[in-house]
Amino acid sequence: MTSPLNPELKRRTLVQATMMTGAALTASGAAQAAAPAEANAVRQPVKHGAVGSSLSRADGAVKVKGTARYAIEQPLARMAYGVLVQSTIPAGRIRAIDTAATRASPGVLAVYTHESGFRINRPKRDLEGGAATEVFVPLQDNLVRWNGQHIAIVVAESFEQATEAAALVTVAYEASEALLHPTDSRAHPQPMDAIKAEWGDAAAAFASAPVKVEGVYTTPREYNVPMEPHACVAAWEGDRLTVWEPSQWVGGARQVISEWMGLDIEKVRVVSPYVGGGFGSKIAPHPHVSLACIAARELGRPVKVSLTRPQTFTGLGGRPRTHQRLALGATRDGQLVSIVHEGWNETAIDDTHVEPTNSVTTLMYATPNLSSRHSIIPVNTVNPSWLRAPGENPSTYALETAMDELAHTLGMDPVALRLKNWADQDPKAKIPWTTRQLREAYAAGAEAFGWSRRNPAPRSMREGRELIGWGMAAGTYPVWRQPGEAKIILHADGRVEVHSGGVDIGTGTYTILAQAAAEVLGVPVERVSVSLGDTDLPRAPVAGGSQLANILMGAVHTAAVATRTELLNLAASDPKSPLRSARVNDLVLENGQIRPSRRPTGGVAIADLLKAVERERLEVHRDTFPTGATEAQRNAGNRSFTLMQPATASGGSAHAWSAQFVEVRVDEDFGTVRVKRMVAAFDSGLVFNPKLARSQWIGGMIMGIGQALLEEGLIDPRDGRVVNANLADYAVAVNADVPEIQTISVGIPDLQATPRGGKAVGELGIVGVAAAISNAVFHATGKRIRDLPITIEKLVGA
Amino acid sequence: MATQRAVRLRINGRDHDLTLDSRVTLLDALREYAGLPGSKKGCDQGQCGACTVHVGGQRVLGCLTLAMQAEGREITTIEGLAAPDGTLHAVQAAFVEHDAFQCGYCTPGQIMSAVACIHEGHAGSDDEIREYMSGNICRCGAYPHIVAAVRDAAARLGKGTSL
Repeated sequence: MTSPLNPELKRRTLVQATMMTGAALTASGAAQAAAPAEANAVRQPVKHGAVGSSLSRADGAVKVKGTARYAIEQPLARMAYGVLVQSTIPAGRIRAIDTAATRASPGVLAVYTHESGFRINRPKRDLEGGAATEVFVPLQDNLVRWNGQHIAIVVAESFEQATEAAALVTVAYEASEALLHPTDSRAHPQPMDAIKAEWGDAAAAFASAPVKVEGVYTTPREYNVPMEPHACVAAWEGDRLTVWEPSQWVGGARQVISEWMGLDIEKVRVVSPYVGGGFGSKIAPHPHVSLACIAARELGRPVKVSLTRPQTFTGLGGRPRTHQRLALGATRDGQLVSIVHEGWNETAIDDTHVEPTNSVTTLMYATPNLSSRHSIIPVNTVNPSWLRAPGENPSTYALETAMDELAHTLGMDPVALRLKNWADQDPKAKIPWTTRQLREAYAAGAEAFGWSRRNPAPRSMREGRELIGWGMAAGTYPVWRQPGEAKIILHADGRVEVHSGGVDIGTGTYTILAQAAAEVLGVPVERVSVSLGDTDLPRAPVAGGSQLANILMGAVHTAAVATRTELLNLAASDPKSPLRSARVNDLVLENGQIRPSRRPTGGVAIADLLKAVERERLEVHRDTFPTGATEAQRNAGNRSFTLMQPATASGGSAHAWSAQFVEVRVDEDFGTVRVKRMVAAFDSGLVFNPKLARSQWIGGMIMGIGQALLEEGLIDPRDGRVVNANLADYAVAVNADVPEIQTISVGIPDLQATPRGGKAVGELGIVGVAAAISNAVFHATGKRIRDLPITIEKLVGA
Repeated sequence: MATQRAVRLRINGRDHDLTLDSRVTLLDALREYAGLPGSKKGCDQGQCGACTVHVGGQRVLGCLTLAMQAEGREITTIEGLAAPDGTLHAVQAAFVEHDAFQCGYCTPGQIMSAVACIHEGHAGSDDEIREYMSGNICRCGAYPHIVAAVRDAAARLGKGTSL
C-alpha cells in the first residue's frame, strides 16, 4: 500500500476525486488507521456535554449579543476603504480607462487598474497541488473575460468617497464576440474522461429494456449568497501581511495569498474566527482579496474591501448551469437493466470548474449496465465554483427524478422501486459499504411522514382548490477524510483550551470540539474554551466536503487522551504530587479529578495537581498523522487538497445517506407551489451534537426548497450580465416559504469511515431535496418539470 | 457634493458625537464610526434585513436610513438589547436555546425584528411569525428554529411588551 503522505498519485484517480470535490487525493487509506481505542465510549449513555449530547451552541452568546467579530469588523487605525469597478461587457479588451475624475474626487487615495503594473502571481489550482479555486488574477492585462470582472479598485478615506469615485471611472471597450450559453453552436464541450464510467453494454441493454424512461434534466446558475458578503481587511506590518478574511480554510487562504503576493508563506497570517456563511464560496480567497493586499501594501495602511451584494454574483462563481440526459431501462418488475447518462456543466472561458453530474448516478443503484459521461463547456462567465454538495446535488436531482418517473411508469411505489434496486455494494468501486443505513432511512422517513396513506395516482389528493402532492427521493454524500492536528492546554486556574486552525462556518465546530475534550478530561464542558480560525493555531484542512468535524473530532480526541495520560503520569511521578505514591495504572481521571480507581474520594482536581507540581500549564499537541510524518506532509494537509482521501480509501465505500419526504400544495388556478411539510431521515453515522446537526440538515433542506422553486441566475442573452444580481430578484427561501420540518437520525457509529464514527452532515441535507419536491409536484399535478426551478409559468404552460 | 457635519446619535441610551459625511447610512455610522458592528451589512440595499435596528421604538433597516435621519431619536441595536448586567433579553436567550442560527450573521437583524414582531403583536401564531419575520433572510436556513424561538419568547414576554 502506498503511504498516504508519499503518494504515487495515479493521475486518473486524482482527477476523478478532484472532480468530486475539487480535491486531489492519495491512493491509500492508511492515515485513517489511527482510530482511537476509546471510540467505543460513544455507545455509552450520553452525559451532559459529552459527545452525542444536544449542547447549545458554544458561540451562541457572542452571536446573539452582536459581539462576535466577523472579518471586516476589525477596528484598525487609519483604515482605508476599497471599492471595486467591474466590467460591463462579457468579452473583449479595455481600450482606455479614464480615472482622472476618480482621482480628483474628494478623499481618493489611489486608483489601480491594469495600467498600474502591479504583479499578482497566478495561484496554483487545486489540481496542481494548490488551494485556489480559480486561476484568474485581476488587473494583469486588458482582457475582459466575463461581464462583471474586476477591472479597477478605488481606495479612499471613506466608503462613501470610494463609492462615489468608483462610479466616475469611465471605460472604453473593444468588444469581441462572446460565448454566453453552453448550447451555442460555437461552444466546445471538453469531455472529462477521468470521471467516465462504463460497465456492461448500457446502450444495447437500454434498447432492449421492456420499460424505459428518458429525460433531460437541467439546473440553472445558482449562487451561494451567504449573508456576509465576500469582504476582507488586509494590513501590512513591514513585510508581514495579516488578512482578516471570511474563510472556510485559513491554511488554504494563506497559501493562495502568499502565491499571489510572491511572499514567504510564513509572513502571511489569515484570521477567520467567525464566518457569515460560505456554503462552498469561501473555500479559497477570491481575486478581490489580492487587490486589498496590493492596496494596503502600496498605501501603507489597512484596507477594507467588500464586494457589494451585486458584485458577489460576478466577483466569484456559484454553481454552474448543468444539463443531463438520463435514460433508465428496467424489467417489468422494476429491476434496472441499464443507466445511460450524459451530462455537462458550463465553466469559465479560460478556467476549469467541474460539477460532476454523475457522482450519484454511478453509486446509488445496482445495474448490470451503465454508461456515464460528463463534459465541461467554456463560456464567458466568472469561473463557477462549489455550492453545497457540488456534483451530488445535480446528479441526485436527475437520478431521483428519473426513478420517480420509472416508478410511475411501472405503477410501483417509489420506495419499493428503490429497495428493489438496492446496491449491496458500491456498484462502481465494487467494494462493500462501510455502513449504509438507507433502508432504515426509508422506513423511518416513510413511517413519520405517513407515506403508506399515499394514493399513487397523480392529482388524486386535494383539499379545496389545492392539489396535494407527496414525493420522496434518496440522497447521499461521500465521507472525505485526512489526518488532523489539535492542541490542548490545561491551566493551573482550571481552564481548558482547545486550539485548532480549523474554521467554524456555523456548523458547530466550537461546540463539538469542547464536547470532545470535556468527555475525555472529565471536566465540565463549560470550562473548555475553543479557539479556531487563525493560521497561528495548529494546522487544519478545509471546512468543506463535510469533512472537518470528523477530522478535528479525531484529532482533539487523540490530544485529549494524550493529555489525560500525561496528567496521570505527572500525578504518579512528580515528587510534589499529592498522588505520587500511586501507580499510574491505578489512577483514573473522572469529573475533573484524578483519583485512585479503587477509592471514590481523595481525588485531586486537575488545577490543584498543576499547582502542586508548580506547573502553570500543561500543553499537549497531537495529531492523527501516521508516525514519522514530516513537516512538509503536515503542511500539505493544511495548504492543499492533496491529502483528502476519497470515500473508498478505507477498503470500504463510506457515504452518508438520506431519504427525503415532502408534501407540496399546488394552487390549481395559479400554479403556486408551497412546501407544506418535510420529513427526512439521515444516516450521518454518529452524530456529535444532535441539536446542531439538525440545524445543518434543515439548513440544507431549506436551501433545497430555494433550489427547487426559487433560485435561478438570469443571464442577459445580449451581454451576459447577471440580471438579478441581488437578494430581491435572486430569490432564496424566506421564513414564510418554510414549513415544519422533521429530521430523524438513523445513523450508527461508522468507525471504518472516520476515527469517531461520524459521516457527512452539512452537505447531505440538500441532496435529494429538489427531486423530492419535483416528484411531489408531479404527484400533485401530473406535470413533470425537468428544469429547475419549478416556477409558475413552467407549471401553467406545461 | 457631500458635506461633513457633526451629529449626535443616541444609541443604546448613550450619546455618540460623530462627524459624518451626509451620505453615511445609519448602518455605516454604527459599524464604521460608533464602534458598534453588531448590526450587519448583508446587501446594503434593503433586501435582507441583517441591518435591522430600532429607531424610536420601531424596526427599521439601517442601510436604508441615513444617519442624520436618526438624530434626536432613540436608536437601539443588538448591543443594547441585553440587560446592563449582561443578562440576555428573552429573545436572545430563546435564539440560543432553540439554535435559531448557524453562522450568526443574520442573527442580530433577526433578533431585532423578532423583538419588534412580538411588540407589534404579530407573534400570535406560527404562520403569523413566519410572515412578519420574512423580511429577514437566513441563508443557513434556521427558519423553523427562529419561529420556535419567537413563539417561546413571545409566550415568556406576553403581548405588547415594551421594547
